[in-house]
Amino acid sequence: MIVGTALAAAVLSVSGAGKAGAALPPDVGATKTVESLPSPPGKHWLWVNDFVFPHMTDGTVHLLDGDSGKYLGLLSVGSSFSHVILPRDGKLVYSPEIYFSRGTRGTRTDVVTIYDTSTLKVVGEIGIPPKRVSSVPTSGNAELTDDDRFLLIYNFTPAQSVSVVDTMSRSFVGEVETPGCAFAFASGPRSFFGMCADASFLAVDLDDSGHAVRQTRTDALFDGAHDPVAEHPVRIGNTWYYVSFDGRIHPIRKSGASFVAEPAWPLTTAAERRAGWRPGGVQQLAIHAGLGRLYVIMHQGGRETHKDPGKSIWVYDLASHRRVQTISAAHPLVSIKASTDDQPLLFAIVAESNVIDVYAPTTGKLLRSIKDVGTTPSLIVTTP
Amino acid sequence: MKWLDRFTEESVRAVARRSSRRSLLAGIGALFVGAAALPLLPVARGAEAKPAPGKKPGGGTADPGDPSACDYWRHCAIDGFLCGCCGGTQATCPPGTEMSAITWIGTCHNPGDGKDYVISYNDCCGKTSCGRCFCNRNERDTPLYQPGQSNDYNWCAGSSQSNIPYHCSTARIVGAAE
Repeated sequence: MIVGTALAAAVLSVSGAGKAGAALPPDVGATKTVESLPSPPGKHWLWVNDFVFPHMTDGTVHLLDGDSGKYLGLLSVGSSFSHVILPRDGKLVYSPEIYFSRGTRGTRTDVVTIYDTSTLKVVGEIGIPPKRVSSVPTSGNAELTDDDRFLLIYNFTPAQSVSVVDTMSRSFVGEVETPGCAFAFASGPRSFFGMCADASFLAVDLDDSGHAVRQTRTDALFDGAHDPVAEHPVRIGNTWYYVSFDGRIHPIRKSGASFVAEPAWPLTTAAERRAGWRPGGVQQLAIHAGLGRLYVIMHQGGRETHKDPGKSIWVYDLASHRRVQTISAAHPLVSIKASTDDQPLLFAIVAESNVIDVYAPTTGKLLRSIKDVGTTPSLIVTTP
Repeated sequence: MKWLDRFTEESVRAVARRSSRRSLLAGIGALFVGAAALPLLPVARGAEAKPAPGKKPGGGTADPGDPSACDYWRHCAIDGFLCGCCGGTQATCPPGTEMSAITWIGTCHNPGDGKDYVISYNDCCGKTSCGRCFCNRNERDTPLYQPGQSNDYNWCAGSSQSNIPYHCSTARIVGAAE
């Protein structure tokens, strides 16, 4: 009451002070106090996943508009975060999250939190076993099946398995044991695969209730001992493109219930290899199916620099395997991701910073830099 | 993001690798019960690790270098905050934290005596990240699907004995490599 009286007096005072023209309309009393976002999400929106390495119990996801550079909002996503997963209708966000009952101690609880993309509010929560992997963020830690029905989450305790979550009933279905094999890459409406320590793949088929009905283990699909591939592939249809430490592209194609290795091809000439050119970073590959282009973060360095950032993006024609463009980045980059529309943007995380750069992939022009995006951004997720 | 600036100043190869980092290695192996095709991987139990005979950790000609520096020889495959900068040492955890029971072991060359040593990078757990002296070096590091040699796993998580947050990483001598 006292506050109300003071407020009324203040309003009178302000209105009496005006000299010419209409006074500004009051914000207080307006019906809108919280912003909301258009639905479905824009094709040029990007979700920047930040596991906040200096204080990992406070993971965040930053939603940006790549066209305007505007910061749209944030998700708080708990401890040791990896990344959000977006279904194709764009209305929801799935977020595998870890919490401790006393912040940094107490009972660990793992959940999949469901957010509405227009309000960024929590609209559901699904309990899962407290086993989700805690690692450097990588896309294979969780994916949705190709029809968005089942969410697949990689567990590492260090026993390896995959938690299957039914998004329709919003319930945990069960675990699929995947001994010796990491990740949960969706490969169809009712299938996923893992990558195994011996460079083989483990293909898993699910039934309509999300339970495993078949597991198929391939032979080694690349040279895991001498030139392993980085964890993060890019996909077009039934083909996943991996890049090896020494810079060879390994296309792995789903064939029936299993996987086969297509002929590998080099990113570099012999002279470029002698000069030390190799791929590096975290999300070091990007792809655009419509353009038929593969983008690779490149730098010069020795074998042990396979995680180093690069200031050059080499662009390849997927049909001819030829390098058709070189983008000289304004800053060293660790992660890149292309939007999926036919007028794509190429998003990039700048190393040693919390800056997101936006490039026009066809011209290589830096369109804008978006600053102060979290603490240690690592993976970019775009609208499917 | 001033912490990043500090980061860059204080750590030798600092970040970049910010992204790749976080890690802590792995060890595994025998724990994959029932994994017929799985190669057995090295497992180190930190509580059992002992300094090599006659070696004095942390300084002197037998163990040269600064344990709080990223280029210290034992850090050849580390990925995390150095416990020596966080109230512990390269072999012990800071007060109030708990050492991970299992971790990855790497092999590093000691320029002091010319020998290779097996190093166990046990994480210290139970408080939020220390945030000091970040260091990531990747000698012989492998991808996450080869966990026995990958420095990108968090060993404070998962293990039933220490399913708690990551704080910092040690670099403990297990013994001379043969």
